[in-house]
Amino acid sequence: MHERLSYYVKRDSALHRLNPLTKFILALSIVLISFLSPWYWTAHTLLLVAIVPLCFVGRVSREFFISAIHLIIPAAGFIFFMQAFFQPVGQTIIFKFWFLDITQESLSFAFRVATRIALMISAFTLFLLTTHPSELMSDLTRRGLPGQFAYVIISTLQILPQMQAKAQTIIAAQHSRGLDTESTFLKRAGSLLPLVGPLVFGSLVEVEERAIAIEARGFTSTHVKTFLHDIPDSNLDKVIRWCMVVLVLITLILKIWLS
Amino acid sequence: MAIIDLQNVTYKYPLTDAPVLQNINLQVNEGEFVAVIGPNGAGKSTLCYTIAGFVPHFFKGEITGTVEVAGSESSKSSLHEWVLNVGLAFQNPFNQISGAKYTVFEEIAFGLENIGVPREEMRSRVEEALKLTGISDLADRSPYSLSGGQQQRVALTSILVMQPKVLVLDEPTSQMDPIGTREVFGVIRKLSEQGMTVVMVEHKVEWIAEFADKVVALHNGLVLLEGKPQEVLTSDLLTDKGFGISRYTSVARKAKELGMWKKDMLPVTLDEAVAGFKQ
Repeated sequence: MHERLSYYVKRDSALHRLNPLTKFILALSIVLISFLSPWYWTAHTLLLVAIVPLCFVGRVSREFFISAIHLIIPAAGFIFFMQAFFQPVGQTIIFKFWFLDITQESLSFAFRVATRIALMISAFTLFLLTTHPSELMSDLTRRGLPGQFAYVIISTLQILPQMQAKAQTIIAAQHSRGLDTESTFLKRAGSLLPLVGPLVFGSLVEVEERAIAIEARGFTSTHVKTFLHDIPDSNLDKVIRWCMVVLVLITLILKIWLS
Repeated sequence: MAIIDLQNVTYKYPLTDAPVLQNINLQVNEGEFVAVIGPNGAGKSTLCYTIAGFVPHFFKGEITGTVEVAGSESSKSSLHEWVLNVGLAFQNPFNQISGAKYTVFEEIAFGLENIGVPREEMRSRVEEALKLTGISDLADRSPYSLSGGQQQRVALTSILVMQPKVLVLDEPTSQMDPIGTREVFGVIRKLSEQGMTVVMVEHKVEWIAEFADKVVALHNGLVLLEGKPQEVLTSDLLTDKGFGISRYTSVARKAKELGMWKKDMLPVTLDEAVAGFKQ
């Protein structure tokens, strides 16, 4: 019921202690490098030498494993089969099924794309597991992101589950008054209409009240904001950030140079 | 000395013809506890928004007359400065939770972050405010996991931590069960005893009779009555105009007609009624 949209796991680890922006840049650069690199095995290598060790550094290997089973492997598997079957490349047919051909080339292409996708999801899962959303937003606000923008992002993460709960309540209320929500698809779609009014208009009223409430707490104050929590930003953070930028640039240059 | 001073305030919301407030004159002294009563549509909430600066800064519309708090004038000030003078809490505690914070402690610090209070001071102010409202034990909980009464106390605390000169409360207990109501009233009484100036819209007349120094009865945007709780709350005028009155007052009024109530003054609370009937 009061679930929040956050994967964050509270632990004390070297990865948790990094600056949120550093972790974001780290995740983003790993993805960029895997997509830019001309070498076939880049994504596979990064998955093994960067993501797997970082799971242990961040002490979230168990949570990472769970999300790997639920999200990463199914997503990558789906991409793999789609690419393997429908990618019209290559002549070396190794498998034939009805009108679908699997060639050696499409297989190797699919393997590469699927690994890239797995790497991308893994990198950001790891980022979300070790970064508190409000810490990220505070850090970005401190670096000049408009407070309003940060507020919209962070409050959405909390308010969406609340709205879901409210939608459930409205459905239950309509249901108890005889609304049909369990027959044919069309009827069910039609029965969602009475939900829209209360939910949308109710939310609009709430938005006004919430605007007043945060305004009453100086939201539009012209003072420079301060932050309750100290957000770490060590020299190590700066070194990591610059190293990642340089690595991405090197990969980009290699790609242009080799193609 | 009046800390809140409204002179001839008339206000119309945008796109409406009839004024919601008409010629309101209201003076509240420092440390005073003023309760505002009135039927639906009397302009109670609008009066709260006016003192708190949201009328006209947030709602726009036409306003005439002057609104002064602690010597400065609302129309000459901007809203983000004004909210430092006047703290506002209202009905629905759920909508007063910012949604940007994950713990009660952070939630209460939100306002202080916005106005740039240094971290050390912020911590001590939040801790102090939590102690004042008696919710220190909730500090690490998620604001969304709390009960209505607890959420309303969080909302009150997050306003108090800003250290306003005046507190404006718009039916802070209307959506609460008796336990939640008692929790919230307990806090408000304590604040008032410590010298906070409080303006509160409230329907629960028995509570008002116990707390308030002064009662203002609003009707159709006009001040109908103003005075001591006992006088205002037992006035015959209220029954005709659709105000909620105490059941003890109704009973005693009936008894008076039948010659069973000997005192001049009608009761508002149970204790007064019992004392009166014993005579």
